[in-house]
Amino acid sequence: MSRSAQKLVAWIVLIGVFIGLQPLNDALSYNRLVLGYARPTPVTKVLQFDAPAMTGIIVGAMMGGFREVAASMLWMKTHSMWHSGEGTKWDHLSLMRMTTLLDPHWLEPWRITAWHCAYNLYVETDDPKEQARLLDMGVNVLKEGISWNPDRFELYFELGWTYFDKIRDYPEAARWLAAAVRFEHPEHIERLIAHAWERLPDMEKALMWYDYCIKRRPSDHTAKGATITIRERYMPAERLVQQRRYDEAAEAVQQYLLVYPTSTLGLHMMGYVYEQAHDYEKALEYWSLAAETLALNHYARYKVAELCERLGWPVPEYASHIYMREQELRKEMAVTHEVN
Amino acid sequence: MPAGVQSRRAARVREVADIALAIRTENLTKIYDVGWGRQHVGIEELNLEVETGQIFGLVGPNGSGKTTTLKLLLGLIFPTSGAGEVLGEPMGDPRSKNRVGYLPEGPYFYEHLNAPELLRMYGSLFGMGGAALDARIQELLELVDMWDRRDYRIADYSRGMLQRVGVAQSLINNPDLLFFDEPTSGLDPIGAKDIREVILRLRGEGKTVFLCSHLLKEMEPICDNIAILSRGRLVTEGSVAELLRGDRLRYRLELREPDEELLAKLQGNAEEVLWLEETCRLLFADRQAAFDAAAQAEDEGGYVLAAGPDRRTLEEVFIDAVGEVSVDASDL
Amino acid sequence: MRAIFRVARATYYEGWRKRFLNGILVFAILIIGSSWVFTYLQPGAELKMLIDVGLGSIRFFGMLIAVFLGSRLVPDEIEKRTIYTLLSKPVTRMQFLLGKFFGGLATVVSNMALMGLTFYIVFMIKAPQFAQPTEDSPAYKMEFMYENIAKAVLLSFFEMAVVMGIAVVASVVFSWILAAIFSFFVYFTGQMSEFFGHLADPDTGASPVARVVLLTVYRVLPHFENFDVRESILTDVPVIWSYVGMTIGMGVLYITIVLALGYLFFNQREV
Ligand SMILES: Nc1ncnc2c1ncn2[C@@H]1O[C@H](COP(=O)(O)OP(=O)(O)OP(=O)(O)O)[C@@H](O)[C@H]1O
Ligand SMILES: [Mg+2]
Repeated sequence: MSRSAQKLVAWIVLIGVFIGLQPLNDALSYNRLVLGYARPTPVTKVLQFDAPAMTGIIVGAMMGGFREVAASMLWMKTHSMWHSGEGTKWDHLSLMRMTTLLDPHWLEPWRITAWHCAYNLYVETDDPKEQARLLDMGVNVLKEGISWNPDRFELYFELGWTYFDKIRDYPEAARWLAAAVRFEHPEHIERLIAHAWERLPDMEKALMWYDYCIKRRPSDHTAKGATITIRERYMPAERLVQQRRYDEAAEAVQQYLLVYPTSTLGLHMMGYVYEQAHDYEKALEYWSLAAETLALNHYARYKVAELCERLGWPVPEYASHIYMREQELRKEMAVTHEVN
Repeated sequence: MPAGVQSRRAARVREVADIALAIRTENLTKIYDVGWGRQHVGIEELNLEVETGQIFGLVGPNGSGKTTTLKLLLGLIFPTSGAGEVLGEPMGDPRSKNRVGYLPEGPYFYEHLNAPELLRMYGSLFGMGGAALDARIQELLELVDMWDRRDYRIADYSRGMLQRVGVAQSLINNPDLLFFDEPTSGLDPIGAKDIREVILRLRGEGKTVFLCSHLLKEMEPICDNIAILSRGRLVTEGSVAELLRGDRLRYRLELREPDEELLAKLQGNAEEVLWLEETCRLLFADRQAAFDAAAQAEDEGGYVLAAGPDRRTLEEVFIDAVGEVSVDASDL
Repeated sequence: MRAIFRVARATYYEGWRKRFLNGILVFAILIIGSSWVFTYLQPGAELKMLIDVGLGSIRFFGMLIAVFLGSRLVPDEIEKRTIYTLLSKPVTRMQFLLGKFFGGLATVVSNMALMGLTFYIVFMIKAPQFAQPTEDSPAYKMEFMYENIAKAVLLSFFEMAVVMGIAVVASVVFSWILAAIFSFFVYFTGQMSEFFGHLADPDTGASPVARVVLLTVYRVLPHFENFDVRESILTDVPVIWSYVGMTIGMGVLYITIVLALGYLFFNQREV
């Protein structure tokens, strides 16, 4: 074969193979997704040119196969700094944040970073504004983590738990926990949803979830016990409220409060009964009690602020994170309204 | 007979007798592009014909294009224009490679091998193997005096040892045409002599040897034909005998410090008088005049050093030829 | 064939004698061999860490070896002038290039196989223990883990074959340093080829010109991320053979393209 003929053959092979390669590449990309070998960058992040995500992708690619290892190393470094007391908590936060960007499919760093914001950094300050900012930060970290890992229960659960345990925004907690149970998950999450509704208190929803737990596993003693408690202690009060027999309802709860005077549930229930009875002053009294017994009870603090506003009283300093967020939201909505 | 006529006649003889040409180039030109629009001349418009069975010497000063020519003929680099044939195939054609051996300038090989391993690898590329190859390897290593040191790794070789193994590897396939680029560089005098003997023996076996060198003293006794390159151009070419003789044969008489009186007498018949330190060289047009002058000098008490045909050394030819071109080049 | 094999064999043995390669190998084996030591720092994530460090090191160091070896195979021959005697023998340029490529590949694969073996041993000893449930984490499923790891290592062989092909061919065109940089660049951007595909999506609002560029990058770059199946190892999803086969097929096709380019370039390369 002459040299030019060989060259022609080389070109033909080159172009032929290149064309043949394209469907194979497409098939592989599809298969990776379907078979679960890849956890690709969420398309929304790409479409929105999400800056931290882009940075993470590029830095990660530059580390090649070592991307996850680099994340692990960074995590270990954070760990050791933490234990040796080296660096401030803010230093730790930035290291943690970097880890989440390097390996966004690693759930642990998202969890710990959010926890660090909402719990550790939170107690460093007494300024309610700063505290609210930190809680928001924690929540946003988890939401970002969820956007990377939307098909795993862990981060939904973590977010639900943060709302439940820290922020005590029970409707939000129930919402995120319900999102978690759409995926493979441990049983206790469903009970937690029931707890959240119970605390609100929304006894109907709580019972519904406990019911679900018992149906799924008839030997679920916790759910059974909770169901009995609700039916015995709170349902009578709830039914009385529905019949507008508010005084009797308050009486029923009061009996329980005599035994457990600081019970969050009992106090919430009292607040709820009086609110339904339009006795806002009384309701405020109980919600304040709940907020004072448990310093971190944001939901109670929110109710306090809400009721003060309704009564036209000054909103107390400590008005909660949730309340401040709502204020901001209202302001924003007003602005958009004006624009429109 | 002028060189031009000679070669024209040689071409006709070849045509008639069908003597094959081992190498032929036609206006072979290589200009190296060295970037930023600058160019180096490798060789320009080179026309060469090398008959089979010859030892052909390509000589020229450093950078005159010898290695360039070899690489072109072997297909390691590609011509800017012109063409060439090696053993009847276009140069660089893989078909001719089975019959070609090449010793590059300053050869080097895979460091982790020793000489027999290297030769075995190269031999196997020609499809050789088994006891025949082993015998060939021993024969070649003995030829270049490396058999005793066959266990040494190439990484540990001296410059001359590399050169020796380089010669051996070029012969592994018993080639018909050999390209040697500075074959004796780095060798001790005995080694150089050995290599020259190898080259002569190869000619005895009917092989063609294409030699590149600037060591004129070495080329002179062994080459049949010589081409002189300077700055990429062929300046002169011909058989060694022709080149050394010059255009016409003259006769010389050399005296040691002749006195003025004697010199004046002899000078009359001489065509040219040259002083080389204490030696005075007189050149005569014919043999008789030279011998007469010698007799006269003897008679008058002069000290005759030598008398005979005036052969130039290759060095003189070379300096003449290269010098001419240098002048030409500066005119350009 | 004979010529390719001879050149490959010599290249393979030369490869083992390269100091920097030995250095990388020793370092890699040390890291892989001791990967389990560091896992105590991460309770609950020991297995993840073990797999990340082990397989990550194999890929990363394999890539380093492929790039540095590949980009110097041909330039070293030219620089040391060993290529002259070879090409004057009955060895065509294509045979020479293939011989260099396959010889170098054999070196890379045997280096990586050593790393893989080290990892496999460490994994077999340590993984069952790490897979136990702890307070923070449930037990790991380990149904497919062993075979998935073997498949992951197999895929990374082919990944590095593509990387080395690119390095070898680039070194024919550029100097070896430039070729190494170029290969790293292609490797790293190839890790993100899927991402370029997304960016070329009409919804990103990228300009038509940018989209054409992005789509070209997406179509031309080897999709190196396809060789990475580590995610499935941790979640214990079986890596099916048809996927492995297709990915290897993709690798082989890329190598074919790269070598065809190599032929075109090397045939007019002066040495
Ligand atoms: N690779 C190259 N790139 C650019 N120029 C080159 C190259 N190789 C040779 N040249 C130039 O070509 C000319 C001829 O070089 P060549 O090596 O053929 O000389 P040579 O006759 O073999 O010299 P020497 O006796 O020193 O070996 C020189 O001017 C040289 O600078
Ligand atoms: Mg030279």
